[in-house]
Amino acid sequence: MMEKNKFNAVSKITRRKDGMAKVTGKETYSSDVRLPHMLYARVLRSPYPHARIKSIDTSEAEKMGVVCITYKDTPDFKYNERQVSIPEKTYRDRNVLSEKAHHVGEGFAAVAAKTEALAEKAVRSIKVDYEVLPGVFDPYEAMKPGAPKVYDEILLGENVLPIENNIACKRQVSEGDVEKGFAEADFIFEHEFKTGRVYHAQMETKSVVCRPEPDGGITVWPTTQSIHNTRQLLGAIFDIPLNKVNVHRVAIGGAFGSSIQMNTCIPISVALALKAQKPVKLSLTREEDMYDHCKYPSIIHLKYGLKKDGTITAGEMKTVVDIGGHNIQAYPLLGCMSGWFVSLYRMPHLNFEGTAVYTNKAPGCAMQGYGNPQVSFAVESMIDMIAEKMGMDAIQLRLKNYVGLGETFWGQGPTVRSIIRSCGVEEMLLKGKDMIEWDERIKPEMKTGRYRRGVGVARGFHTSGTGAPTPGEVIDYSTAMVKVNEDGSVDVSTALMCHGGGTLEAIAKIAAEELGVPIDKVGISPSDTRNTGYDVCTHATRGIYCGGASVQRAAKKAKERLLEFASRLIDVNPEALKIYPEEGTGQGIIYLPGTLQKNISVGEVAKMAQLKGWGTAIGVISHRQVNCPPCFVTNFIEVEVDTWTGEIKTTRAVAAVDCGTPVNPDLAAGQLEGGLCRGIGLALLEDTEYDTESGELTCGGTFVDYKFYTPVDMPPVEHVRTFFATTYEPTGPFGAKGVGEAANNATAAAVANAIYNAVGIRFAEAPMTPEVVLAALQKQAGVEK
Amino acid sequence: MKKQTLNLNINGEDFELRIFPNELLVNVVRETVGLTGTKYACGTGQCGACTVLVDDEPVLGCMTLAVSAAGSKITTIEGIAEPDGKLDPLQDAFLKTNAIQCGFCTPGMILVGKDLLKKNTNPTENEIRHHIKGNLCRCTGYNGIVRAIKKCRDDMAERNL
Repeated sequence: MMEKNKFNAVSKITRRKDGMAKVTGKETYSSDVRLPHMLYARVLRSPYPHARIKSIDTSEAEKMGVVCITYKDTPDFKYNERQVSIPEKTYRDRNVLSEKAHHVGEGFAAVAAKTEALAEKAVRSIKVDYEVLPGVFDPYEAMKPGAPKVYDEILLGENVLPIENNIACKRQVSEGDVEKGFAEADFIFEHEFKTGRVYHAQMETKSVVCRPEPDGGITVWPTTQSIHNTRQLLGAIFDIPLNKVNVHRVAIGGAFGSSIQMNTCIPISVALALKAQKPVKLSLTREEDMYDHCKYPSIIHLKYGLKKDGTITAGEMKTVVDIGGHNIQAYPLLGCMSGWFVSLYRMPHLNFEGTAVYTNKAPGCAMQGYGNPQVSFAVESMIDMIAEKMGMDAIQLRLKNYVGLGETFWGQGPTVRSIIRSCGVEEMLLKGKDMIEWDERIKPEMKTGRYRRGVGVARGFHTSGTGAPTPGEVIDYSTAMVKVNEDGSVDVSTALMCHGGGTLEAIAKIAAEELGVPIDKVGISPSDTRNTGYDVCTHATRGIYCGGASVQRAAKKAKERLLEFASRLIDVNPEALKIYPEEGTGQGIIYLPGTLQKNISVGEVAKMAQLKGWGTAIGVISHRQVNCPPCFVTNFIEVEVDTWTGEIKTTRAVAAVDCGTPVNPDLAAGQLEGGLCRGIGLALLEDTEYDTESGELTCGGTFVDYKFYTPVDMPPVEHVRTFFATTYEPTGPFGAKGVGEAANNATAAAVANAIYNAVGIRFAEAPMTPEVVLAALQKQAGVEK
Repeated sequence: MKKQTLNLNINGEDFELRIFPNELLVNVVRETVGLTGTKYACGTGQCGACTVLVDDEPVLGCMTLAVSAAGSKITTIEGIAEPDGKLDPLQDAFLKTNAIQCGFCTPGMILVGKDLLKKNTNPTENEIRHHIKGNLCRCTGYNGIVRAIKKCRDDMAERNL
């Protein structure tokens, strides 16, 4: 194992390269892009959850001198905004603008005008005659015969797929003989768990600017996690060759999965820009954004069989997912949910059944964890319930059954598996247990008074990317270019995104480490689809592990070339040369170990190579990781329940991650704190509910009524502690794995387990709002009387 | 509705603008003047991303008519560093303590944080949290931001010793 202190750049705390722009207001996000003669767009959206347009009249709008399009003007092309799966596994049910609304907020028509106010006025003047259809809002109702049909048919790949009983897709996975496994058990445990339709609430609403080009092409500045998938889909929808579709990377004001896809506003702005032959900007309002996407909710029926000694003999998970009005990625989601279930605890016999159901609500899409917080909430709550019933310590039960070193991890459902080669599960549980004073816990029945505190634990993981030895249902590779400039500085070019967590900072460190130059010498180039090779998407916690590996290989290639140039200048075999970052000069110094005579700076070599016409030290690599190691996570959380009001405060927390080598220790710790905060939101506050008459969000699309944590809700700074397991991932760049999504995967269960420890009530449904908690406390008090 | 002339002083610079009387300050600052460091995130005064200082008081740009700021001194995130580019101490603290992730709430957070430290040079953590509670952040869980304001408070105290 390589020791951390051997690194020059990796694991060092640095000032993030985008920090200056972000603290001075100079960072450019999609919504900040302003172009000459740019028009502003607004969209006519359905006020009904389920309706068909009988007729539409835009004549009043046209009279206002605006550019107007309806569903009749956009390409007859069914698409799925998410392009991560292979085409045969891609469910396509959307159009750029639709003649049928599948949820409130679906777009029918759009307008571009000189001002946003005029565009809005014009949109409001469009007359629509609707055929209002009955809506369906509950997945079980939707599956009943005679329920309103959200779709008759869609496309799966290029084939027509009829939709029966609103079932978007199903997935079943089994290993061993689950009935035999349950028959071998001494105890059977069964329970149902639910989580809500959480909204991403990324601070920047989805936005895009599109400029039509004189050659018939388009240039696009969108909020997206994948510039290349955005490009390919736009090329397909609008039938433009890809070399004329250029998508720029711009900073994104929070993602959490909300822009994993080519957002629906993007092709609308493209259609308008092509018609107007002027740049068009479309920024969603917060209300529009809230109707655009949400986290997949879950209803999970979970069953485990155990021997008396605490060994799990079998497990079964059955889930129904209410996916809303579009099937964006339900099929891979169900696969992933099976994988998270299988990879938490060893089960010789197992069965998973998942059903995704259309309803007339905002479509579910990926959000931090992709089914993992939902599965972990169920499993990690259940493990505590089992430990309690069997009189075992909850941590010991976990240590006995967890999937760890040498075992198989399903990183992206049943088709993407890898062997676990680094694992900090035990270290995190044991160290965290001491930090939170786990052994001081007392049983809930010993607690009295209005305010009662409890401590809970939960563990989990996320995958690091979706790489595997063979191609699967999910595409995964990254491309990087690293070049050494003529003064010894370095340009790194990739299509990876930074969502704020520090991916590009890590990329710079990995390049600096491999090349042996100071981190300050490495710059991250602006990127667009014309000037970078393909990168699937910055999702699945793959930025550092997959993207970083491609950068490391590109840097290695550039270094080989550089050392070959150096060998000509100082007459030493290139194989013998090494490079180290010299603080004094701020240069990488190429040297022959064991002598001080043969030194030359990286800058001198690069300049001489230019002057002598030898070329540039450059490396370009497309790289696929053939593993997807789990980054394990553990949360210990203390809550305080106000038994008079049902309000729950988080008072202390320990958040730990096994991310292998932490490339950005301070930024990774920040990700743990942020993940904790969002995980607590999932547990205690967050859900989007619908009025089943109007099909509208009951929160009205505003932050005041969509509650999430504010600055006063988090525990004090000193009471939120984070740490890293001391592991090294042999397949990762400099031993690194992912962090991102793992950070919130264990949190909701840790909160539920802490509430149980505080008041002795098991909440199996999130969010555990004060109303729900108070009702349960009153019921408990009634029973006790 | 007719356009009218509005004179605004933003970050020490005078602007003579032609705007409609119903235009919001956030839009005038971002779109008409082109200072996009001020962010739009909710449009309904619920998240603080559009915060600017009007005569040194934090104001929500999405809830303020631009015309109501006529004759006032407006400061945006672009205007708090010194003319030579030296960062405001709070910008510097945000940079040094990893208080930034996506950065979209950062301008608003820095401006309300500055307002607090001007009014109370030695705020407790609880006072910090309450002063910035009108500003939402989805990335950080807030603790990094609180740490940055605390650091700035401590740095300022040290300098004044």
